[in-house]
Amino acid sequence: MRGLLIACLLPFAATAQEDPFADDGWDDSGWEEPARGVAGFAEIAAGGRLSGDPLLAERLTLGDLRLRLESEWHPAGATLALKVDLDHDAVENEWDGELREATLAFAVGDSIDVKAGRQVLTWGTGDLLFLNDLFPKDFESFFAGRDDEYLKAPGNAIRVTRYGDALNVDFAWSPVFDSDVYLDGERFSFFSPRTGGNIAPQPPLDAVEPDESLAHGEYALRLFRTVGSRELALYGYRGFFKQPTAANANGEPTFAPLSAVGASLRQPAGPGLFNAEFAWYLSRDDRDGADPRIPNDQLRILAGYEWEARPRLTVGLQYYLEATRDHGALLANSPAPEFEPDEYRHLLTNRLTWRSARERHTLSLFTFFSPSDADFYLRPAWTYRHSDTWTLTTGASLFGGDEPQTFFNQLRDASNLYIRLRYNF
Amino acid sequence: MTRYAALLTSLLALAAADAAEPLTDPDEIVARANLASYYAGGDGRAEVRMIITDAQDRQQRRQFTVLRRDLADGGDQQFLVVFSQPSDVRNTVFLVDKHIDRDDDRWLYLPGLDLVKRISAGDKRTSFVGAHYFYEDVSGRRPSDDEHELVETTDDYYLLRHVPVEPQTVEFADYRTWIDRETFLPMKIEYRDAAAEIYRRVEVVEVTTIDGFPTVTQSRVSDLAGGGRTDMQFRYIAYDLGLPEDVFSERSLRNPPREWLERPAR
Repeated sequence: MRGLLIACLLPFAATAQEDPFADDGWDDSGWEEPARGVAGFAEIAAGGRLSGDPLLAERLTLGDLRLRLESEWHPAGATLALKVDLDHDAVENEWDGELREATLAFAVGDSIDVKAGRQVLTWGTGDLLFLNDLFPKDFESFFAGRDDEYLKAPGNAIRVTRYGDALNVDFAWSPVFDSDVYLDGERFSFFSPRTGGNIAPQPPLDAVEPDESLAHGEYALRLFRTVGSRELALYGYRGFFKQPTAANANGEPTFAPLSAVGASLRQPAGPGLFNAEFAWYLSRDDRDGADPRIPNDQLRILAGYEWEARPRLTVGLQYYLEATRDHGALLANSPAPEFEPDEYRHLLTNRLTWRSARERHTLSLFTFFSPSDADFYLRPAWTYRHSDTWTLTTGASLFGGDEPQTFFNQLRDASNLYIRLRYNF
Repeated sequence: MTRYAALLTSLLALAAADAAEPLTDPDEIVARANLASYYAGGDGRAEVRMIITDAQDRQQRRQFTVLRRDLADGGDQQFLVVFSQPSDVRNTVFLVDKHIDRDDDRWLYLPGLDLVKRISAGDKRTSFVGAHYFYEDVSGRRPSDDEHELVETTDDYYLLRHVPVEPQTVEFADYRTWIDRETFLPMKIEYRDAAAEIYRRVEVVEVTTIDGFPTVTQSRVSDLAGGGRTDMQFRYIAYDLGLPEDVFSERSLRNPPREWLERPAR
């Protein structure tokens, strides 16, 4: 009888309450096609060193006033996309306009997509570790605490993807080499084997880029397919090392020619996801590893596992190896063998991400730890999504280690705290 | 022609028999409710918007278009969800291969990073994009995850009680559903904790018949313990569009299929 009563009343129960769609702009007019308007955000961000860097007077590591504007158009079945950042950087004390994206995308026939112009490109299976992804990255932004999006730097490229039944083919051509945004000594000092300590050159380090000719472009290829729940990919690359780790005949830092091949796998395993990837880096100008000015061949291997350990708590673990080939020849010819990389550089990472029930709060900690280099990098962060428009993020980059030349420990004086407030529109 | 007429007559007779003779097998009722809720047509599209209201009455919105394709009725399905609002998730795309016999495969495309992120299977009873709806409310809970009991049959509803087969994997002790006898849509679901307190309620506010399929076009989930609720509305619904399989692939993550995302012309 009670059940019947509830059942009879049910249709009225919910409608009797006020209809949230009716009176707040979400009535039927709210269903209009999304306007081809402009979206974006305004952001203010500040960050500072935890302790001073004796080489740099500036205590600030992040000081951004940023306006992002983006829009897209669809002329004749194609897509034109534009994403622009206007930024005042208080650390470098300059106004800057950056084109994050300016692309024309269109289909050719049924199975080919083309995207041409300035764009961010990503592939591979690593979490903040990149083996076969040799597209440009901005480590300065990453270390300074800008949004993760800024770890990927845009480049000028044409990407052609062919989707097939058996195999998908992804090809990206960058006519002009795009290096990473590397440590140049302006925001963060870095280790120099010549001095055996950190330096912050003035003017900042400006590595010699390869000549702008078609022979000096970058070619990146990915063959991929998904079989059931398993993702498989093969990779190839011809271009240059993305960091200025070589020296030219004049002793100036530059980018050595690089070819790479690799493969990756990603699939469910047990309660989570397993991924494995390797890349073979071939240093074209130093095949026997005897030239101390040019990096040696390397084999890079990654294995990772990610799972939801508790509801809303995700744990990711990765093991990564950089094996430098011809290590004996490297040491025998190096002017500073004590600062050369170990033959085997091991790196472990751990990501912890916890989200609150309504995803208003996100707490995360990403840890890099190298047992062979005996150094570490911790990235704790807290994001508070106050509303659909306001988001507050605060976090830190904490570096440390034992030896002056290791990758993370060279940044020990770059350890910083940051805060960002963003208004989305 | 007469063959079809005969078939039609027998189908109508069957339908009439349905209305007259209530079902008594709870598993059959649940199976039909599952089909009515999640498998209308061979495929479908809808535009969805949600208003998420927290216990302090602060509101957030979400708007997205969802495409669905069934591999088999009551079986595996594919979903593509393309977000249009709010602006910080605009153009984010979510792809799900829903499996009956194993964990779903899920991918998320983050346009700012050009990153196809795969999401581990995880707990399906956690928030869907910050709403009070769970992933499982959106894509369906497997009928085999619960044991079903027909509590009562009223003039309009089947009242069922469902007890989880693996209680440690869910936050409820049991739940009850009021399933419309005619449409087989669950019109109300109430979740109870170990103390038999109702702490969560999902209710259908509006049903519209589209292409012959009774379809939920507005619903609400209420958090009775913590306060707050999410209201969800569906519009521009269409079924049996003939969505091809390759719409549900990495291609659509990077390059959403506008041909299928556009509103139907009526």
